[in-house]
Amino acid sequence: MKFKSFLYNLLLNLTWIMLLIPVTVQAQAMDFLRSTGKIYTVVVVIAIIFIGLAIYLIRLDNKLTKLENHIKNEQ
Amino acid sequence: MIQKGMWWKLSGIILFLYVLWGGMTIPLRPGITSINPSSAKTGDTIELKATGYNTHFASVRNGRAWLKLDSVHAIKALNWQSENNNEVTFRFILPQTLPNATEVFPLHLIIDNETDGAFVHPNALFLSSSTDTLSFDAIPWTKHELGQFNDHQGIQFPYRSILNETIRNTFFHVALWFAMFLLLIFGVVYSIRYLSTSDYEFDRKASAYTNIAVLYGIFGILTGSVWAKFTWNTFWTNDVKLNMTAIALLIYLAYIILRGMNYDQDKRARLAAIYNIFAFIALIPLVFVIPRMTDSLHPGNGGNPALGGEDLDHTLRMFFYPSILALFLIGKWIAELTIRFERVKDHFYLKKS
Repeated sequence: MKFKSFLYNLLLNLTWIMLLIPVTVQAQAMDFLRSTGKIYTVVVVIAIIFIGLAIYLIRLDNKLTKLENHIKNEQ
Repeated sequence: MIQKGMWWKLSGIILFLYVLWGGMTIPLRPGITSINPSSAKTGDTIELKATGYNTHFASVRNGRAWLKLDSVHAIKALNWQSENNNEVTFRFILPQTLPNATEVFPLHLIIDNETDGAFVHPNALFLSSSTDTLSFDAIPWTKHELGQFNDHQGIQFPYRSILNETIRNTFFHVALWFAMFLLLIFGVVYSIRYLSTSDYEFDRKASAYTNIAVLYGIFGILTGSVWAKFTWNTFWTNDVKLNMTAIALLIYLAYIILRGMNYDQDKRARLAAIYNIFAFIALIPLVFVIPRMTDSLHPGNGGNPALGGEDLDHTLRMFFYPSILALFLIGKWIAELTIRFERVKDHFYLKKS
C-alpha cells in the first residue's frame, strides 16, 4: 500500500511539474536530447528499460514480503 | 556464493555489460551533417563548405574530394582547406555543360582521407544549367582518381544521417522485441504442455514467461516512442507496425487479466492456456505479415530493405545478437523468480485450504 501511494504521489507531482515547467525549458531539454548526435536519446532508452525492470522487481519484492508475513503469521 | 544453475544468469549480466560497454563506447564512422551552398549553376566556381561529424579534417595530409554525378561523371576538388576537425572547404570549378538536357542534377560529395577513410554524402549539391552558356566544355567531367580509397581504421558503427548516434538503439530497442518474441515462444510452449499434462507447474511457467514478455513489449513501445521522437519527429505515427504491435499487446494484456482472475484454478489455467495459444497465433500476422504488406517506416517492412547493409552491418551484429541473448536471459531469470514465488504461494494456500 505504501509503495502504491508513493507511486501515485510521484505521478501526480510529475504531472504538476510538467505543467509548471515553462515551454522554453522543455524546448531546451529537447535540444539537449538532440545534442552530440542524439546520443542522449540512447541514454533515455536504456534508462526506460532499467527503470521498468526495477519497478517490476520492486513489485515482486513486495508480493514476496506479503507472502512471507502470511507464512510467519500461520506458524 | 555461486550456486548451481547460476551460470546462465551470470552470462546474461556479463553479456549485457559487454553490450553496454561496446554499444556506448565504439565511435560512429565519420559523416557529413551539412553542406553550404546546396545548389549551384554550371560554369560556376564554388567554395563548398562541409561540416562533418567524428571527422579529423585538421590533421589530414592527403585529403581528396569529388562531386559525383554517376559512374562516369565526376569532378575533383582543387584544394582541401580545413580550419578545424569538423569543417572543411573545397573549391570546385563546375563544368560548363551537363551530360544531358535534364534541368537539375543531384551531385554526391565523396570525401577521402587517410585517417577517416572514404565516405559519401548523397545529394549534396543540386546542379542546374545556366541556360545562356553555349560554350565548349573548358573543364570536362572526368572520373579522375575516383577510386583507390582509404579504409577507415578500427571498429566503427555506420553513420546514417538522421539516425546519427541513435543507431545504437538497435542493441536496446530492436533486441528487446527479439527477446520478447523468444520469451513468448517459451510461454506458448508451456501453455501447450499444460493442456497436455494438466500440471499447474506449466501453467505457472507459461504465465511468468508471458508476463515478462509483455513487460518487454511495453518497454519496446516506450523506447520506440522516444526513438521516433528524435528521428521521425513524433512520439507516435500511424505506422502499421506501431498500431499492430499495440493491438498485439492489448491482446496479451487481456491474457494477463484472464490469468489474474480469482477463479477456480483448474478452469482458469485451462482457459489461460487456450487463450495464450490463440494470442500467439494472432501475434504472427499482426507483427510479421501485415506490416510487410503496406507502407511502414521500419526496416524490412513496406518495401524497405530488411535489416542489413548499413542498417545492420557486421560491427552492429557483434553487439546486436549478444544483446538479444542477454535480454532474453535476464527475462528468463526474472520469469524464474516469478515462478518460484508463485510455486511457494500455491503450496502455502493449498496447505491452508
